[in-house]
Order: sequence, then C-alpha cells, then structure tokens
Amino acid sequence: MSSIGTGYDLSVTTFSPDGRVFQIEYAAKAVDNSGTVVGIKCKDGIVLGVEKLIPSKMLLAGSNRRIHSVHKHAGMAVAGLAADGRQIVARAKSEATNYERIYGEPIPVKELADRVASYVHLCTLYWWLRPFGCGVILGGYDRDGPQLYMIEPSGVSYRYFGTAIGKGRQAAKTEIEKLKLSDMTCKQGIIEVAKIIYGIHDEAKDKAFELELSWICEDSNRQHQKVIFKHNKTLLILFVWKEINTLF
Amino acid sequence: MEKARVDLPPKGGFSFDLCRRNEMLTKKGLQLPGFRKTGTTIVGLIFEDGVILGADTRATEGPIVADKNCEKIHYMAPNIYCCGAGTAADTEAVTDMVSSQLQLHRYATRRESRVITALTLLKSHLFSYQGHVSAALVLGGVDITGPHLHTVYPHGSTDTLPFATMGSGSLAAMAVFESKYKEGLTREDGIQLVGEAICSGIFNDLGSGSNVDVCVITKGKTDYLRNHQLPNPRTYISSRGYSFDRGHTEVLSTKITPLKLKAEVVENDAMEE
Amino acid sequence: MDPDLSAPHSMGTTIIGVTYDGGVVLGADSRTSTGMYVANRASDKITQLTDNVYVCRSGSAADSQILSDYVRYFLNQHTIQLGQPATVKVAANLVRLFSYQNKNMLQTGLIIGGWDKYEGGQIYSVPLGGTVLKQPFTIGGSGSSYLYGFFDQAWKDGMSKDEAEKLVVKAVSLAIARDGASGGVVRTVTINAEGATRNFYSGDSLPLWHEELEPRNSLLDILVSGASPEPMSI
Repeated sequence: MSSIGTGYDLSVTTFSPDGRVFQIEYAAKAVDNSGTVVGIKCKDGIVLGVEKLIPSKMLLAGSNRRIHSVHKHAGMAVAGLAADGRQIVARAKSEATNYERIYGEPIPVKELADRVASYVHLCTLYWWLRPFGCGVILGGYDRDGPQLYMIEPSGVSYRYFGTAIGKGRQAAKTEIEKLKLSDMTCKQGIIEVAKIIYGIHDEAKDKAFELELSWICEDSNRQHQKVIFKHNKTLLILFVWKEINTLF
Repeated sequence: MEKARVDLPPKGGFSFDLCRRNEMLTKKGLQLPGFRKTGTTIVGLIFEDGVILGADTRATEGPIVADKNCEKIHYMAPNIYCCGAGTAADTEAVTDMVSSQLQLHRYATRRESRVITALTLLKSHLFSYQGHVSAALVLGGVDITGPHLHTVYPHGSTDTLPFATMGSGSLAAMAVFESKYKEGLTREDGIQLVGEAICSGIFNDLGSGSNVDVCVITKGKTDYLRNHQLPNPRTYISSRGYSFDRGHTEVLSTKITPLKLKAEVVENDAMEE
Repeated sequence: MDPDLSAPHSMGTTIIGVTYDGGVVLGADSRTSTGMYVANRASDKITQLTDNVYVCRSGSAADSQILSDYVRYFLNQHTIQLGQPATVKVAANLVRLFSYQNKNMLQTGLIIGGWDKYEGGQIYSVPLGGTVLKQPFTIGGSGSSYLYGFFDQAWKDGMSKDEAEKLVVKAVSLAIARDGASGGVVRTVTINAEGATRNFYSGDSLPLWHEELEPRNSLLDILVSGASPEPMSI
C-alpha cells in the first residue's frame, strides 16, 4: 500500500505522480473482497452464478438478491457493494427501456454494456462523486446471439466467454478455463457454475452462503430467468437437475 | 390548412401565439398594415458551365410601385447568389442572415461555401417560422461539387431543378423555360433565355416590371449584370429634356436672410499624441 | 382561375410500397403542387434514409422533408454507434416517434421500406396521427383512393422482383390517370440483399388507360398525319 500517507489516494480527481487514481483501485478492492460471481457463455446462452454470503442466520433466504433482470433479454450479477450495484442496475434498466422507446427494438447487449460502462466511468470523473464499489457481469441475448460482459468500477468493460469476479475469482477462472464452453449447453453449464461456486467456497473459513443462479438461453425463450433451487449441500447436483427438469 | 390546435405546454422555440391572435383579429375585420411585397419574377437555370439567375426590379406596396429599380438577386457567398420573392423585408433579412453565417463558416473551415449549406440554413430557418417568414427563393451557385439550383418555399420545403421560376410571374417565366430550355446551353444562350423569361414576367404579370437583373455564376467567377436589360426606359417628349425661360414663374415675394458666422477655424499646432 | 401560389407547397401524391420475395419496391409519382399550380413536375418523393432504407413522402413537402432529414440524422448516428446498418424497424419507429410527438405540427404521411439481414424486406406505413403499421404492401397519398380495389385484386404473396416492380409502375400510372394531384413520371426504388436500385419511367412510356391519347407535341400533328378531315371543311 504505497499510496497510504502520500495524500494522492483521497480524491478521484487527483492522479498520483506515477499516473494512478488510487480511489478507483480501492473501489476494485471492494469487489475483490465480495462473494464470487461467475458468468459463462455456453453455445446456446448465458449462465450467471453468485456465491451470496449470508451475514446473519436470521436473514430470510432469497433476500438481498445479487442477480437482477435488466430487461427481458438481459441480466446482471453484482459483486461488491450491493447497494451500489442496485444503482447500476437501475441505470441499466432505464437505458434499456429508453433505447426500446426510441428505436422500437430491444437494446443490443453491446450497446447496453457500453452505456452502463459510461455511467460507471462517469462516477470516476468528479470530485463530488465516489466510484462504484462494485463490478457487474452483464449477460444478454440479442439478434446476434448470447453475449457476456464484465464492467469494472473504473468503467472499462470487456466481453468474455467466461469470467469471474470477487474473492474466489482466480480459482473460478481456472475452473472455467477447463470447460468446453463452445460445446456446452446452458443445462450443462448451470451445473458447472454451481459446482465451481461450491468448489471454491471454503466451508471452514468463509461465511455461510446462498447460491443464486440465472440464465438466458433458447430454453428460456431467450429471456433472463432466475433458476431457483433448494439449498442442500450433499444433494446439490441432484437438486439442480431436478429443478431444471421441472422448469420445462 | 386547418390544424388541430391543442394547448400544449411551451417547449421552447418560436411562439406562434401572436400569429394566431392576429389571424383572429383579421377574421373579426381588423385591417393590418400592409408590407412591401416584391410581386416578382425570379428565375434560374443551369447552363453548360454554371448557373444563371435572373430577376425583375419592381417592388410593390399593394397597387403602388414602391421601387422601380430594386435589387432582388441577393449575395450569399462569392460563389452563391439567391433571388428573393415574397415580403421584401423577409427575403432581405433571411438572405443577409444566412450569408453572414456562411461567411463565419468559411472563416472557420477555410473552404469555399457549398450551395447545400446555404440551402439547409435557409430551409431550417424558414421551417422553424412555419411560413410566417414569407420568403420564396431561387438559390443558385457553383461549388466544389458543381453547379446547383434550388427553389425554397416559405414553409421550408425545397426542390432541386435544372431550371426554376418563382414569384407572381413564375407562370409566365416557366412558360418560356418549358418551351425553350435545353440541357447544356451556352453562356450567351442562357443569359438570353433568362432575359426572355424575366421579360415575360415583366410584360405579362402586374406584380413584375421595370428592368432585368442577371447573375452568371461559373466556376471561380461570378458576373452580376445589374440592369442587364432596360425594356422600360423613361420616355420624354423632347429628347433634350425641357427648358423654361426666365420669368415663366411669377415671383410673389423675396426675402433675403444674411447668414451669420457660427464657427471659426483656428489654426493650431498639430495634435499631440 | 387563381393558381394560389401562396398555398403551402404540398404533394398531392401517389406513393406505394410493396414487399416481394426477397425485398421491397417503393414507387411514387413526381408531381408537387402549390394550390392549383404544379410547382415541380419531376420531383423525387422517394428519399434515402440509409443504404438499405428509403422513405416515400406525402402531404406537406416542408414537413416531410424536415421529418426525413431528422430521421436520416438519427439513423446515421445509430449506425455509427452500433457499427452495423440500422434495421428497417428502427427507421420506422423513429418516423413514428417524431410523427407522434409533433402530430399537431405535421401534415405528412410516410411509407418506409427497406431490407435488413434480420427480417428481410419490410414495408411500414406511418399515416397522419403517428401510428406505425407493418404491412405486406401499402399505398398512400391522394392517389391511393383510386388504388385500393386494384391492390386487393392484383397483389399476391411471393411475387418476383420484376412482378412487383411492374405492379408498382402500373398502379402509379393508374393513379396518375385518375388523380389530378398526381402526375409526371414514375420513380421506383427496389431494395433487397444486393442493395438499392433506382428506376425512372418517363410519362410517355407509361401505359395508356381508358380514353387516354398517345402523347403528341402538338395537336397540329394530328392534322399533318391526315388521320382526320380538314378542320375547316365542315
């Protein structure tokens, strides 16, 4: 932490002498400490998965969702500060509806990602704002097929075949790389995502968590759909399978 | 043209409230003061190396000829001119305004103005005033993309044509063009045809009269032929004019007032700076 | 007869849009009038919006020109932003949006036609109030009232390009024959996967309908040809 004490880390509008903006890097730290968020692009769609850490046993299961629908054909998974994430989701929703109002067709995923990234970036430009303490994975399905984007607190966005953010991102990415994503259907992919999130969770060290899943694929009529399942660690795979099969 | 009139919250732009009020008052019988209108014949055509514009020179106020030799071919840019019909004040104002915008645009871009630029500026201004700026124009010029001729109507619509006429004499002038215009006219034939078309307006349309102005625009050169033809010269009974012998007019009284010296010039040293 | 030259410049019009197997054909006459005077006998009422979308304009010339200028501007921006051609649907929706938002100011009806790789050839009509209708074929302008029955009879699904273009030219020439506010030449634009092709049919190349005469330069030609008796012989 070379930045601490130098005074260059207090404002988003001041560069350090070596050309960095520390506030943005700190915002990225908030993302790195959060529960893992995974997104993959399969051959027929997108799967999003979140390891949602439960701060209290009193919390109602299914509350404080981290996967949100942005539009019929797009969903967003948030890592980092959940409240900041909701601002981004709200903006994404309004951009999507606004686009459709003007052009009469659903917003292309690339355009949505660009617009959301511009909004996130905007918050790194003014002294009276702070950067968002969250990263988002945006999945969508438009006329050009399924697409997956990740947007960082700095406002950059990249398109991925598969990516992960949060505490277990390194391990998760290693696991994603092993998958044959181009041959995989979302039905297979959602199992892999669930397996990865369970796999990287350290039972002994980490807090309890809840698995959140969603997908956008041909089977869901190219619409973003949350995949709900009952949580039981020993019977996980069976349950997910059962849920998938009962969905159709 | 009756339009649905729904009261909407103001959105900015020009307010047409007073126009509606005036419309209502005239319907109730109020006589509004008249404007000086150029009951006019204006024409333009494309010839082998450019554009020729033509206009008559009569300005009227109702039944009165207000100006017998006015100028209706307005300068827009060195390579673009514009004939105006309609309310004189409006044609003058709108062409002046656009020509200054073009000048500033030339300073900014360091390039010759284009006719399409002038056309767009004119039409967007006229459209925003919904026909209340009554200027009917024939816009012609030669730019990097070649010769161009357009007509602009008061409501902001535009046409692109090889030959065009406007104003109250446009029917008379168009009759000449329709029967005699050919593609690729020479400069002489073009000027001749424009002169004929304007004369047709001058002689057959009550709103048009006096002389013929012509403007020939070619690549890199513009010739403004003011009063190119004078088909209506002033005639005198005596070619030498009139002379009257001393004493023809009776002197009733004479008063001589000597002028007083009001100011004196004092020689002084040169002004110091 | 007062030609009323101060009347707003408007297009008593015949405009047509027809889909065929693989694309669309748009057609229009070329008459623009101010009151009773033909202000332009060779106007082009089919305006380009993008490489693959054109629009037929009717009603007030000023309003339709401004509207299509705005839509062209927004479509250009949209094309740059997306990095690929705008769809016909987007063009139609922009026309609808502006027509609806300014419905108190505008007196214009448009037919949007074009081709895109997602939905192929499409025709949309946006009439006066600012609604949008997707149709396999549509007709507009003052001349269209003479054509409804004709189209009900003559339009067929899955026509070839040539059939569609022939139908459009025939329909516009029929309307020109019966509608005083339509006239001049017939202009068409054919849009398909290969791009857009403009065509022009001069007035004397159009078919002759009931009681129409062969075009002649002068009535005296009839006398010269000797087809009729001497004018003064009666």
